[in-house]
Amino acid sequence: MLNYIWILLVVIGILVAAGTDLNDEIKNTYRNGVPLEVAVEITKYPAELRATWEGDIVLSRENFHSFYEVQLSDSSIRQPVSITTASSGESVVTLTPNNSTPKLWRDMANNASAKGKLSGSVQSIRFSEDRTSAIAQIVFEPIRFVKLKAVTQAALDYAQIAVEIALGLIGIMAMWLGVMKVAEEAGLIKILTTLLRPLSKRLFPDVPHDHPAIGSIIMNLSANMLGLSNAATPFGLKAMEELNKLNPKLGTATNVMCTFLVINTSGLVLIPATAIAVRAAAGSANPGIIIGTSIFGAGCATIAGLVAVKLLEKLPRYKKELQPEAPAQDKEARNG
Amino acid sequence: MAEVFRAVINVISIIAIPLILILFLGWGVAKKVRVYEVFVEGAKDGFNTAVRIIPYLVAMLVAIGIFRASGAMDVLATLVAPLTNFIGMPADALPMAFMRPLSGSGSLGIMTELMNVHGPDSFIGVLASTMYGSTETTFYVLALYFGSVNIKNTRHALPAGLIADVTGMLAAVFICRILFGI
Repeated sequence: MLNYIWILLVVIGILVAAGTDLNDEIKNTYRNGVPLEVAVEITKYPAELRATWEGDIVLSRENFHSFYEVQLSDSSIRQPVSITTASSGESVVTLTPNNSTPKLWRDMANNASAKGKLSGSVQSIRFSEDRTSAIAQIVFEPIRFVKLKAVTQAALDYAQIAVEIALGLIGIMAMWLGVMKVAEEAGLIKILTTLLRPLSKRLFPDVPHDHPAIGSIIMNLSANMLGLSNAATPFGLKAMEELNKLNPKLGTATNVMCTFLVINTSGLVLIPATAIAVRAAAGSANPGIIIGTSIFGAGCATIAGLVAVKLLEKLPRYKKELQPEAPAQDKEARNG
Repeated sequence: MAEVFRAVINVISIIAIPLILILFLGWGVAKKVRVYEVFVEGAKDGFNTAVRIIPYLVAMLVAIGIFRASGAMDVLATLVAPLTNFIGMPADALPMAFMRPLSGSGSLGIMTELMNVHGPDSFIGVLASTMYGSTETTFYVLALYFGSVNIKNTRHALPAGLIADVTGMLAAVFICRILFGI
């Protein structure tokens, strides 16, 4: 199943990105090549013929809407720009987006040739008599393949993030593995597993009751409940390693591993600290109000996950995968 | 009641790690374990485990990254909206339900956005934060845990994990509608 979902994520992602870009191209969402008429309020006057001068371009919400067919919340747009006139007489307008820039222009700037700067050519410009304002026809540079570029960037970025996450684990992994090793040598893990036998016997019937895996599993689950994810992950990985020692078919997950994983992915936490912190930051009157509802939600998830994992492991197709591989010649004979 | 519970858990979370350290290492000393040497011996595996995880995490996160960046989430949400409207789940909260099992940072972003738009104490604000707390980043945990022991065939772990996720999301909608309902 993971194979299918994995390839679906990639294929759907790329298809949707290509489709969106095609749609943008047909509808010309970014109005490539179409001149936009704006008023320019000049703040720094053109002193010489080839000087760079600055001003604010002003555009009403209605005009923006009729040009791009995008609704704005502000009543009008005022954006500082600089205009440079080259010796050939061509003028180039450069817009550096700020917080008040319409989202469409910010997206365009992010996909522009000079990243973060939206430039365009000035088709015509008419100055007022006192030269404090002007009316200009601007064609912004063409913007294409926004989503496909984003997908490419995301693929590269996430490969990098994955390595950073994994390498970031080295320190805390080493620390907790060291502590666990001491506890193991001291016989503490054995005591822990004996104490929790009634529970582990039911959840993980395939694990011998005095196996060190139980100790790590319990440490992992308790750390998870307390929201100590820095400690929970090393304990969880240690538990997986111990469980893998009982694995008759390396490379394939055993029933116990699946059960353990599902408990972890259901994420039962006594205090959902991250959500509470975000609520508090957003100015909630009662950030902790979600403790009860989250425990209920995650509790239901855990129960459903456990029931599902115990039922699914009985299905023939999953049972079959646990059996040792048939010898190679057998397989060929069957295929032939 | 909830406040007391929260305070107690907070204190436990803070003292848990120092307590474990002193208990485990102290126990070792009491049992005459050569603590420093044994600690170092155990810690050696930390590097190998982390390095083993890399290919699995890269595969998983790249696929999720492509999916996220493409905007496929919004397309999916539009497709499923009629169904979820039926059970009383606001359309705004749908991307949250899809993102939660895929990406921790992604769902955190959606939750923050929803709270900024609708307010943290609005129905959608409470629902989004409950959803965030109701399950874990299934795909990431799967890649991480199974990757650490080179498990490639994950068998029924993913279907069961996804069943848990769906249940968690539905349970969040259910409890929020009952307690803070519209």
